[in-house]
Amino acid sequence: MRLSSDKIRGFAASSILAGFAASFGAMGIAQASDNKIALIPGGPHPYFAPWEQAAADAQKDFGIAAVDFKVPQEWKLNLQTELVESLAAQGYTAFGIFPGDAVGINSTLTELKDSSIPSAALAGCAQDPTDAAFCLGTDVYNSAYIGTKELIKAMGGKGAIVHLAGLLVDPNTTLRVKAVETAVAETNGEVTLLQTVADTDAQEAADQKINALLAAQKDEIGGMIATGYIPSVVASKSLRTLGDKRIKFIGIDDDQIVLEAIKDGFVSGTMAQNPYGQGYIGAYVLDLIASGSCTVKEDAVWIETPQTKRFIDSGTLVINADNLSTYKDDLKKVTTDIQSNFKDKYLNCQ
Amino acid sequence: MNALLRRLLLVEWSGILAAIILGSALLAWLSPAFLTEFNIYVMLRSFCVALLIGFAQMVTLAVGQMNISVGALGGLVAVLAGGMMEKMGVPLAVAIPVAIAIGAFCGLLNGILTERTGINGFIITLATASAFTGINLGITQSIPFYDMPPALVAFGSDRFFAFPYLLIAPIIVTILLGIFLSRTIPGRQLLAVGGNPHAAELSGISRGRITVLAHTLSGALAATAAILAVAQLGSAQPTIGSDWLLLSFAAPIIGGAALTGGHVSVLGTTLAVILIALIENGMVLAKVDPYWVQFVLGALILAAVWLNRWRAVTTGTD
Repeated sequence: MRLSSDKIRGFAASSILAGFAASFGAMGIAQASDNKIALIPGGPHPYFAPWEQAAADAQKDFGIAAVDFKVPQEWKLNLQTELVESLAAQGYTAFGIFPGDAVGINSTLTELKDSSIPSAALAGCAQDPTDAAFCLGTDVYNSAYIGTKELIKAMGGKGAIVHLAGLLVDPNTTLRVKAVETAVAETNGEVTLLQTVADTDAQEAADQKINALLAAQKDEIGGMIATGYIPSVVASKSLRTLGDKRIKFIGIDDDQIVLEAIKDGFVSGTMAQNPYGQGYIGAYVLDLIASGSCTVKEDAVWIETPQTKRFIDSGTLVINADNLSTYKDDLKKVTTDIQSNFKDKYLNCQ
Repeated sequence: MNALLRRLLLVEWSGILAAIILGSALLAWLSPAFLTEFNIYVMLRSFCVALLIGFAQMVTLAVGQMNISVGALGGLVAVLAGGMMEKMGVPLAVAIPVAIAIGAFCGLLNGILTERTGINGFIITLATASAFTGINLGITQSIPFYDMPPALVAFGSDRFFAFPYLLIAPIIVTILLGIFLSRTIPGRQLLAVGGNPHAAELSGISRGRITVLAHTLSGALAATAAILAVAQLGSAQPTIGSDWLLLSFAAPIIGGAALTGGHVSVLGTTLAVILIALIENGMVLAKVDPYWVQFVLGALILAAVWLNRWRAVTTGTD
């Protein structure tokens, strides 16, 4: 009798567990993969803040065991590579990395590949030859080019412009400088490039340089374009302080100060990048590759840039007074489009 | 006339003053915008934070110590002040003294650790710099505090003609620091310990107490600089202080401070900061090729230091 009662209890428990498992499976909550993916920026920077949410959403939406956002303490290559190596030792199975040093990161990516751990460059590219599976980021040349075109349009097609650029040691800065020069050259002399002010990636340096520039040449400047996060914020604030709505300005990224300046008419627009999409899509694709179910398609229609032959544009758009309240939805749509077509366009899957 | 010139040359900061006058004349000639009201305002505004950074290092150099954590401490105080005002709604009148007190406390910590462990202040402040930066990033996760009180933001950007209101704070600090170092007993003891620690101790001065005092003062000055930086930028950015270190040494040393301690100059440091602000402003006005800015900046600072050195050798005050 006792034995039979134990059997009944055991059967009941098994049935309950099986029922739970079946219902979880039907609800899609069961984990699709055991992968642990790390998203690693070059260092602390507000640009990467949306990666944290992107990691959490990707983990939930794609049923990945873990997607974690891990930040090196400083913008130093050695700190970034030490973090990657330490996480690899802890069992992380794929890495989405912003290469703070486009060349220097490659030896670490090779180490990962040798250990069968896939990696991708997100938000910025590693320099070819690289073992990063692909690069998903903003086409910086295109973004700066479109931004300059937008500025020229806001200026009525003529006048003198100033380019506020970021770190000179960043290879992307050279691309952006070229893009601005090309857009200016296409106006056949109607628009001139008055000056390029660079190394404005620290708040206080940017404040000093941009205000000195406005003090010296306020009346000659018809427009300004910033291709770095910090100069974009500082210039927005400086134009507001000056109360100057004559000088047209196109910034980059969607810092609160820039968006408020657009709303109040001190800034014409800003070039939005898609950091959330980079993190979200990056985690999704890395999970597919790390699971072994997909490999990167060699003959996909990649965009070729001076840094890499495997580039995918994560999307860019101009935020202005018209789409200030809706641009986030537009970026989400861009993200959904890229993610839903990624398998077909760039991967070979079983 | 010659006698007047010779007497002027005997003053240790006269070389820097000459460089400032020469540089200003050259810039006024090269760029008509140099002497405009707005440009003078821009230069004076950038001078404010830089001067306090120079002073923060100068007081530790006075006792023969170094404070590598000047920038990290400033960054921490900036985000703590910003966090207090934005997240906790602490009024400005309370947040500012509390922030300066936090800076002084961090400096006190530097001083006590240096004194109690017997480890060189360079190493201690190198370690605490990392700790302060870590706390800063842990609190902010590199996201700035944006909602600063309008009164603070206005103080950081408003002006009376070319005079930025921000300049009021460094003027007060300069006068107080000048009086402290030249007229008060602890101030004189600071220089005595830096000049000859052994002799100072034999005279009954507590070397340890004075070292702690120097670091505490340095922390309070760096904190004041941080608050001015928040006012100037209109937000509490976690990157505040990240590029302070080089300037913190350059200003007092160009101004005549001895690295070994015992000799500092409030006026010399002030003039050195004016010179650096002038050179940085001139770079933009003269439209120097961005790829050569760093080189020209370094060359001009070297030229200014050489001019002062030439003055010292010529007048025999070397």
